[in-house]
Amino acid sequence: MNNFGKTMKSKLLSWEMLLVVVLVLEIIIFGQINPRFLRINVLMGSINDFISICVISLFVTFVMITGGIDIQAGSIIGLTSITVGMLWQDKGLNIWVAAIFAIVVGLLCGLLSGFFVAYTGVQPMVVTLGGSFLYSGLALAVVNMSSSEAYEGIGGFPESFMKLSSGNVAGIPNQLIIFIALIIISYILLHKTKYGRYVFLCGVNPSASEYSGIRVKPIIMSTYGLSGMSASIAGLILTSYLGSAKSDLGATYTLPIITAVVLGGTSNTGGKGGVIGTAIAAVVIGILKFGLNMSGMPSQYLDIPVGILLIVVLTFRMTSSNPAVVAKFKKLTGKK
Amino acid sequence: MNVVKKLFKAREISSFLCLLAMFLLVGLVNPSFLKPQNIMLCFNGSIVYILIAVGMAFVILTGEIDCSIGAQLGLAAAVCATFLKNEAPWGVAILLALLVGLVCGTINGFGVTVLHIPSIIMTLGTNGIYRGLIYVYTQGKWVENLPAGFKGLAQTNIFGNLCWFFVMDLVIMLLVFLYLRKTRHGKRFAAVGDNEMGADLIGIPVARTKMLAFIICGAFSALGAVLYVSRVGFVTAISGNGYEMKAIAACVIGGISLSGGVGTVAGATIGGIIMASISRLLVFLKISSDYDNTITGILLIAIVVIDSLAQRRSVEKARRERLAARVTETEGGADHE
Repeated sequence: MNNFGKTMKSKLLSWEMLLVVVLVLEIIIFGQINPRFLRINVLMGSINDFISICVISLFVTFVMITGGIDIQAGSIIGLTSITVGMLWQDKGLNIWVAAIFAIVVGLLCGLLSGFFVAYTGVQPMVVTLGGSFLYSGLALAVVNMSSSEAYEGIGGFPESFMKLSSGNVAGIPNQLIIFIALIIISYILLHKTKYGRYVFLCGVNPSASEYSGIRVKPIIMSTYGLSGMSASIAGLILTSYLGSAKSDLGATYTLPIITAVVLGGTSNTGGKGGVIGTAIAAVVIGILKFGLNMSGMPSQYLDIPVGILLIVVLTFRMTSSNPAVVAKFKKLTGKK
Repeated sequence: MNVVKKLFKAREISSFLCLLAMFLLVGLVNPSFLKPQNIMLCFNGSIVYILIAVGMAFVILTGEIDCSIGAQLGLAAAVCATFLKNEAPWGVAILLALLVGLVCGTINGFGVTVLHIPSIIMTLGTNGIYRGLIYVYTQGKWVENLPAGFKGLAQTNIFGNLCWFFVMDLVIMLLVFLYLRKTRHGKRFAAVGDNEMGADLIGIPVARTKMLAFIICGAFSALGAVLYVSRVGFVTAISGNGYEMKAIAACVIGGISLSGGVGTVAGATIGGIIMASISRLLVFLKISSDYDNTITGILLIAIVVIDSLAQRRSVEKARRERLAARVTETEGGADHE
């Protein structure tokens, strides 16, 4: 068992090391193409473009480890953004109180979907699809309740809220600090606590976990809650960065989020994975998009490389875990 | 009598009743909704949804999913519209659109059946790729100024103001329905989705069937694209965005189970009509059509949850009946002794 654990660990470590190597390569290559890319403030500033994906994918990892999938996170971003704007502007709440409200809304949205997944046995894909319709619709409903126009968004937030994305502590941007803090929290939660072990067990074999006394349903439900909450946090950061609250923020984030989780080494069938891999993978994707954009690729094209990356990684993983292919490969290398 | 009984057992009937209830409820609030003219307009709005939902039904029946048909539709529509604009013959433009759909579907099928990538992840990836290709192909510009004759196709009505495309959709749906239910070849799709191992053991080529499902799905989204071009009259880089979700929702609302093997294209068609009617219903209820998504989401979740609970209940009931039968049997045996 111990041995098994060790080999697993070394395997995972090597995958994460590979990602780090890819990241370094990316930075070197893009630096060659456009030297401006290597300036430290440009690199640090680029995180604004992909911080939401980083934050959300950390917690979508939890969902995918339980064997589920979450495609509603993008719509929770928009809902959070417009909620915080509405509460602040129309209800006159303090911006931080509004922010906490918005995070609670995200948590509740996640828990609602999680409840349906865990307690009714409907496929997570369908529930979160319904959720994505529902929450993006609710976001529009909130817009209708507020006094401002949908296309304009709500702007003019106080300085302290804008600092969330523009300020820094000792030269490190605030949102990077938030990201690192969330990595640490999710790492401890997933890899160092009983709860984390249970999350893995639910993914490996739900019925066996149920029989060994783990309350599978609340745990599955909670993972969706966590991912909803992370989507809210991402929504807050994004609102602060753009300086305006809009209902349609984050509508296109599903692909990069799932790509980050899968690229990070989390198995799509559940039971395997980790947040460190996800975190590095999210940065790899973010830097890839940012670098390509700086090298002159229009931003609308950027889903092409991300999609190809996703498929290539999975092809590689699927074929390398296919015994027939492995045997053939061994034969080939052996003959050489 | 038997036929009626069978009809009521069919899963589509609940979605049909749902459609009927929706129309009647709105009719109660605003009687002008139930005018034949208006109902025909609801049907006209669904011509694209029906086609993509029928295509999606093939994939879902085999137990897979295709999240890329929105981008497939957009790409095929962009190609079709560009050729139409350059005064290519209509047939050429339509055939090229179909070719785009077939190629897109083949790529998806290849990834799922040969590379063994889970379909949801494969098609999420290809959705991004195809969508990006639309930007590359159109340079982000609108494709407009299409020949008036082609746009007129969607304005050609039969029976009052019912578009003839709707009738064409129904005919296509009926043919597909018969193919899936009555032919040996067509039954393979549901068989693969119901029990993949079992299908393999009785000699059904599982991988080839799934591949075919993805290709058919691509062809249907391309056909949907042609109707889209004719109906909307212009194509932008975001045309068809989110249609994949609408199609999946239409299938699920129409009683097709995402775990595969259960459901019919008739259900998908009803689902497509429901999806297209919601925004129109809202207008007649004097509610902002912004609530379209909210209603869709609630409807989707409610239907699948109710369905799942009902199924669980019927399984429980069957088990209890079996148990009860066994108990009476042994009691009967004891009497004889």
